[in-house]
Amino acid sequence: MKWYRWPLDLLLRRRRTAEFQREISFHIAERTDDLMERGLSRAEAMREARRRFGRPGNQVAERRQFNLFLWMESVGADIRYAVRALRHSPVFAIVAILSLGLGIGANTAIFSLYDALVLRSLPVEAPHELLQVTFGEGRTSFTNPLWEEFRDRQEVFSGTFAFGNPTFNLADGGEVRYVPGYWVSGDFFRTLGVLPVAGRLLTDSDDFRGCPAVAAISFGLWQREFNGALDAVGRSINLNGHPFDVVGVVEPDFSGVHVGNAIDVYTPLCTQPITSNRDYLDMRSAWFLYVLGRPDRDIGPDRVGAAVSAISTGVFEATVPQNWNSENQERHRSHVFDVRPAANGVSGLRNQYGTALLVLMGGVGAVLLIACANVANLLLARATRRQHEVAIRRAIGSGRGRLVRLLLIESLLLSAVSALVAVLFAQWASYFLVGMLSANGSVWLDLSLNGRVLLFAVAVATLTGLVFGLAPAWRVTDVAPQAAMRTAGRNMVGARGRFAIGKALVVGQLALSLSLVVGAGLLIGTLTQLYTVDTGFDPEGVLLVEIDKQNAGLSPEEARVLDVQILEGLRAIPGVQSASAALLTPISNTMWNNYTEVDGYEPAEKRETLTWLNRTSDSYFETMSTSLRAGRDFDSRDRPGSVEVAVINQTMATKFFAEPNPIGRQFRIVPSGRDPETYEVIGVVADTKYGSIDEETRPIAYLALAQEEADGWGTLVYQVRSDNSPTSLIPAITDLIGIANPNISIKYTTLAEDVAASLTRPRILAVLSGFFGIVALLLATIGLYGTLAYRVNNRRNEIGLRLALGAARKRVVGMVMGEVGGLVLAGLALGVAGAIASAKLLRTFLFGVEATDPATIVLSSLVLAIVAFAAGALPAWNAARLDPMATLRDE
Amino acid sequence: MRKQKKHKNDILQGTLALLVLRTLEASPKLHGYALTNHIQSASKDLLRVEEGSLYPALHRMEQEGWLKSEWGTTEKNRKARFYSLTAAGKKQLQKERDSWERLTEGVDRVLRHT
Repeated sequence: MKWYRWPLDLLLRRRRTAEFQREISFHIAERTDDLMERGLSRAEAMREARRRFGRPGNQVAERRQFNLFLWMESVGADIRYAVRALRHSPVFAIVAILSLGLGIGANTAIFSLYDALVLRSLPVEAPHELLQVTFGEGRTSFTNPLWEEFRDRQEVFSGTFAFGNPTFNLADGGEVRYVPGYWVSGDFFRTLGVLPVAGRLLTDSDDFRGCPAVAAISFGLWQREFNGALDAVGRSINLNGHPFDVVGVVEPDFSGVHVGNAIDVYTPLCTQPITSNRDYLDMRSAWFLYVLGRPDRDIGPDRVGAAVSAISTGVFEATVPQNWNSENQERHRSHVFDVRPAANGVSGLRNQYGTALLVLMGGVGAVLLIACANVANLLLARATRRQHEVAIRRAIGSGRGRLVRLLLIESLLLSAVSALVAVLFAQWASYFLVGMLSANGSVWLDLSLNGRVLLFAVAVATLTGLVFGLAPAWRVTDVAPQAAMRTAGRNMVGARGRFAIGKALVVGQLALSLSLVVGAGLLIGTLTQLYTVDTGFDPEGVLLVEIDKQNAGLSPEEARVLDVQILEGLRAIPGVQSASAALLTPISNTMWNNYTEVDGYEPAEKRETLTWLNRTSDSYFETMSTSLRAGRDFDSRDRPGSVEVAVINQTMATKFFAEPNPIGRQFRIVPSGRDPETYEVIGVVADTKYGSIDEETRPIAYLALAQEEADGWGTLVYQVRSDNSPTSLIPAITDLIGIANPNISIKYTTLAEDVAASLTRPRILAVLSGFFGIVALLLATIGLYGTLAYRVNNRRNEIGLRLALGAARKRVVGMVMGEVGGLVLAGLALGVAGAIASAKLLRTFLFGVEATDPATIVLSSLVLAIVAFAAGALPAWNAARLDPMATLRDE
Repeated sequence: MRKQKKHKNDILQGTLALLVLRTLEASPKLHGYALTNHIQSASKDLLRVEEGSLYPALHRMEQEGWLKSEWGTTEKNRKARFYSLTAAGKKQLQKERDSWERLTEGVDRVLRHT
């Protein structure tokens, strides 16, 4: 048929088949009539007519030209055949589907995490148009004066907004209930195109100095706090103890611009002074806002960049912080604005985990490859058993391509079903991973299935099917048709050649799993180092009680008295070994520093004199179990008005004073814009970690809490060390503080929790990579065992012959183990090379461990070798136990 | 043509096409059953069409463009598909005729040769 007719043919096919049937019926009817005229009965006539016609089934088969519908039909037949074949080997099918499903699923899970964190656009109007405004070298934090100047002078954005992200405490007094919130400028919701689902959202008219306290709440908060009641609009909620009127509820899809956090409360930027203990709105050095905007549609992105860069000078000139020294002021004036795309919002989580996720994807991809190799081997073994059938098919004229297609369809079917399993598993796994990431639900990611993730799963599944299906299919169909003449036997086609694929696959598996195990070893080693590093304090058994006296209505004097009262009360609680107070605690995301000056110390750069600070009460070091190396701790001698004293750590002593025992010497702290303060050193303590576990030691100076001027931050942290579990003290402490003053907010954590939280990423990496390493090793071992068992089986006759001719069984074992040894050696060599090459990828995640740590590599190789030899021992043992008579008889 | 199940035999298929085309040249509109009977009677029972292969052959010829078909009613009021020759079919008939004559002439010569 002419090629241009086949679309028509395709469409009309069904009708043509019906017509064809009618023609045939007509023909048979006519013949029947004729035969009846000749004297046969009706039944006989019909039978004879049918018989003469032959089997009408064949009629349709004669098409020599290409026909799409026929092709689809034959593919359909292949699929049915594959389903039948799989149903006949359910164990194989289940094993293959499970291992592939888990492998593809793990890949999809991590990809969906990556997608949610990095790739997904915000659920707002036209997210690809959004730009974030930066300055300097990618600095993103603005002050309010800077924002206001920018907003007033810019001319290229159709809408621009600023937002800050505080946490608000919903409770009034007692233990805190924090929710993430936003301070937003007037145009926030309008520019993003977000709509309310009840009431109204914040607009320009809500944002002016001295504005009323209104708030828009998230859909989630509306459900949780108000049960979705329709009269929630108009009610009020407490933010940090201050009442705010709820004016509306945000639509459920929108949860802020930070990926990884679900924002619950939006308040106008002008209400910042209400909920904070300081008014930042006019502070020129309080950097707490992000600025985003949507440019006018008809302006290209480069013009936007040029435009904002042009207004930089004016804006920065107008916002120079007056209390800075001239050098810093000059630097401020020289900043230039720039823009960058912000379709996927702003995210600290992304910076932390973006690369780590890519590394994990590499690892889990390797596991999938190993699983594929196993399934390929399984398929090879299966197909080999069908060798005879394949030979027959070829003998009766089936083309090789057609046969490859038949076998390939079986593998694609396997991977299609695995893809379904994978998607289900991936949903569960990604929620599990997010759970590992967040401490008490603090991380939230939109993990709903989207096109990209599904496409990824389908693509991976298809690729997988081709990868593990093609090689076996190709190999097995490489058989000359006359092989069908031989009895279904073992030694059909290039058994040696087919075995070469098996060996190559096993070597590849061993190499990949070694790389994974080495990687896991490095990451686990890192975690161990982090856990065992000497932090300078003992985190076990210490409860941290952070109090906020903002709303307690106390004068500075009353506050000071209250602090002492609470401390004494804490010390009196039964089971408390010691208690102290401080402005901040280690590893708590709160830090404080200033430059210091020491007579006789000339630093190479100013930066070297940066000192990290804290204010602590007496017994702080005792409570934290930090050892005092020289001098004394604070005590009752140190009061307001007496000599200002400080305790310094060893690093500061050796660095600034060049002696380990500088008791009695002095140093000056130089806060910007104020007079220097002089302190006398009264004690030296051991070095401690300050901001994070993996940092270099910093110079730290502890000032006396009792000597603090009543400027204060309003917050204070008590440290309570007890014999019992720290959290068992919480009720008693809540009571104590509540009696003292019911308007004090309390936040409880433990020092151990803070430390553990800071180690989340290394912990996740270690756990996951360890898991992948174990799975990879297991799969590779299974692959090795399978290949060896098959090989031994193939050589049964040869082995039986050797044994019959008098070879010692030990030699047979030696022969098999020799093969194992060869494979393992090749795998190790390749694996070590691969591990060293990929070590660079891990460098940023390692601590205390070299990327090419020889001990790890040697240990991993040893583990792999032992496991591999154990796997090979079983087939070797079986080979040695062969009964020569039995095998020879089988021939 | 009698019971020779060599479906892929080109000579056989060619001959059937020749006979069908010639029959339709003489009697313009026939259905499949009539074709079968005509060939049988015109050859005086020497040739009997393999009914199983007639209809595929007819369809193939229709797809090649040598025949066209339409549904009609017989005298017995049954629905049947009637075939007729196209212009392309007439040309094909001539070609088939020529090749048939060459074939028989060639076979003749071989048989006569001593």
